[in-house]
Amino acid sequence: MAQGSTDEQLQPIAGLLGAFLPGLGHLWLGEKRRAILIFLGVMGMFFGGVAIGGIDVIDREEDFWWFVGQAGVGPTAFAVDRIHRSRLTSADPPPNADPAWFDTNTPGRVKSLGHPNEIGSLWATLAGMLNAICVIDALIHAPARRREELAPVEEGSAA
Amino acid sequence: MTTLAHAFTLAYRPFLDPIPGVAHWWWLTIIPLAFFISMTYKAVRINSLDNMRRYWRKVAVMTLQVIALMLALAAGLHIVVEFIAPAVG
Repeated sequence: MAQGSTDEQLQPIAGLLGAFLPGLGHLWLGEKRRAILIFLGVMGMFFGGVAIGGIDVIDREEDFWWFVGQAGVGPTAFAVDRIHRSRLTSADPPPNADPAWFDTNTPGRVKSLGHPNEIGSLWATLAGMLNAICVIDALIHAPARRREELAPVEEGSAA
Repeated sequence: MTTLAHAFTLAYRPFLDPIPGVAHWWWLTIIPLAFFISMTYKAVRINSLDNMRRYWRKVAVMTLQVIALMLALAAGLHIVVEFIAPAVG
């Protein structure tokens, strides 16, 4: 093998694992440190966005196109959306609802609006898009390129 | 009205409610945003992670570059909106 060749290999399992959980694909490829950094970076952005804007930033129904980007994080986004929609979304009150109905059917959910919602949505969507880059990197893996910086080219070596 | 009363009396719930005060200081969130973007991007782009000091130095440089670019864009847009657009329009 020529020194410095990229020898790109298609790693579908690594790609699938990375799409399931950020960093898992690189962990499967044996790049533990890279996997940890990817996980911390992507999940830090995703949950940082949820922390900033509240769980309302993950909303498949009201913010569908934002959710398309957020889904790049994987099943985590769908799980958060499921929690949001099933437990925290206020139900539509029946006509002429008794005030007591609101006491039991609205668990104090605060809808995020304005800048908190915008910034939180942006964080979570960028997390999904960055994970897409990480998945592509795991999918098209070039182990020789990853070792280039450690192995200097020797003079006179065979091409 | 009961719902509104609940909204003002319930304590802040992390990850469920927006962080209090972020509506005023939202522009500061660009700093950790740039850091996380740089951290993830450099984790993929740097071939060797054996030298972690080099990695974190590159992350810091890219973070500063992103913030500087955002500030430059904001300044440029401000000039366009406040001076150029009114003069042209």
